[in-house]
Amino acid sequence: MTRLVGSELFKLRTTRTFYGLTLISLGLILVIVILVSALTDFQPDEEVLTDMLGAGFFMQAITLLLGVLIVTSEFRHGTITPSLLVVPDRTKLTLVKLVAALLIGLIIGLLTALVISGVTALVLAIRGLDTGADFSTFIELVVGGALAAALYAGLGVGLGALIRNQVGAIIGVLVWLFVLEGLVGLIPGLDDIVPKYGLNGVRAGLTGAEDGGGGPDSLEMLGQVPAGLVLAGYVAVFMVAGLIFMRRRDITA
Amino acid sequence: MSHAIEVSGLTKHFGKIVAVDDLSFTVDEGRVVGFLGPNGAGKTTTLRMLLGLVNPTAGTATVHGRPFVEIDDPVHTVGAVLDGGMLHPGRTGRNHLRSLAMAAGIGNQRVEELLELVALKDAGDRRAGGYSLGMRQRLGLAAALLGDPRVLMLDEPANGLDPGGIRWLRDFLRRLAGEGRAILVSSHVLAEVGQTADDVVVIDKGRSVAQAPLEEIMARSANQGGMRVKGPDVRRLGDILYSDGIEVSGSDSEIFVKGKTGEDIGRLIAHHQLVVSELSPIGASLEDIFFELTGGSTGGPS
Repeated sequence: MTRLVGSELFKLRTTRTFYGLTLISLGLILVIVILVSALTDFQPDEEVLTDMLGAGFFMQAITLLLGVLIVTSEFRHGTITPSLLVVPDRTKLTLVKLVAALLIGLIIGLLTALVISGVTALVLAIRGLDTGADFSTFIELVVGGALAAALYAGLGVGLGALIRNQVGAIIGVLVWLFVLEGLVGLIPGLDDIVPKYGLNGVRAGLTGAEDGGGGPDSLEMLGQVPAGLVLAGYVAVFMVAGLIFMRRRDITA
Repeated sequence: MSHAIEVSGLTKHFGKIVAVDDLSFTVDEGRVVGFLGPNGAGKTTTLRMLLGLVNPTAGTATVHGRPFVEIDDPVHTVGAVLDGGMLHPGRTGRNHLRSLAMAAGIGNQRVEELLELVALKDAGDRRAGGYSLGMRQRLGLAAALLGDPRVLMLDEPANGLDPGGIRWLRDFLRRLAGEGRAILVSSHVLAEVGQTADDVVVIDKGRSVAQAPLEEIMARSANQGGMRVKGPDVRRLGDILYSDGIEVSGSDSEIFVKGKTGEDIGRLIAHHQLVVSELSPIGASLEDIFFELTGGSTGGPS
């Protein structure tokens, strides 16, 4: 199992897409964090670190895409064939990809959260300000951000197994995440459900954010643990559906 | 002892299209079997069913008596080259092999050996997107050989190879078979496997149309082309044959006779005390036989 996961991670880091996506995203996050922490007039009671770690969303979206890519690029380039010749059991191969995605998502998410925290603290220290977070809050936020990135990556694997068309899967998930879920969340009757239990909502809850950027102002996000469990549930649902399709599919290219 | 490769009653429908229709054949160790048919005959689908990539509608395809997906150590049991395009264009050839080797628990030293073997050592650090078709084929072959398997399945391995490469491949396959391996190699060009295969399985439109040792197929072709006779008396010989109702064509110095064996004609020559300088069978070309077996269908470009 270790060597199979190692092989998946090796495949990921021997393409430029991986570095391109993560570095661009990291750059974007750094620009946002530096500008906001340097220029904002923070209120005394504001939880600055929590707000800043919200920028980690860009990296969580990227790990979701990496999860999708781990599966779909194999179909796109036909490397699924040699991969299945080494690991003929499709369930096993897909689960290996899930583990690899969770792992790489966790590492990237953790590093991102640490970088954001460090840069924020540094900039605020220069301004003579305090992040307003004690150590246990800091740990909760960093762990939440890392887990969100990991579970999003896992979600991507399930999604990629379900929709093997790379372009379709990526566009589909981005449109849902950035546009459709927000729109669906405006529908009366759903406006207190989707923003809380949707993909954005549970991710925000897991990262410890106070709101997910949608729904009524009074809407309270799920706590970190329940949000994490709901997101893990989504991963499981997509993985099961993806595995059913993976097993039935004819690999013809 | 089960056959190295056994296909039995194998059938695959893609919607209404019948890609493979009740196909059965076996391959034993130490044999090179040419798997022939025009483009679209169902060769690739058959190989993919053997490798567990395509699910059969009916029938079984096994390696050493077991479906490929149930083999404990697939990399060390079966090696396959399916087509030249199975590479990530952004990954180097060396890293492509390493990723597969890593998953199979095979060390980098074997990767280097194989790169050397398929003459890609220098190109190993170039991204595979820039490889020629021949280089991709050779990389695919290297991947198939990672685990030094006893059974090899190669789908149109000569595609994209230059004449030198084809010759290299031919010698290479013979050597591998000489080591007691079972090799199934598909092609739409009969001549390509003509000097390599021990047996041939010819399919057309998903159905088997001929299965025999290559020599038998060649012998069949030798009889079909008729006989050529040269020499000073061939005109008289032609007249004698013609008067017996035999199909003869040609000129004063050379005639072509259909429907008579060399021995028949030799007896006639002796009986009439004729002088000839040459009596030889005209082999129908392998391609002629191939076309005849497959009903002249050429499929389409695959």
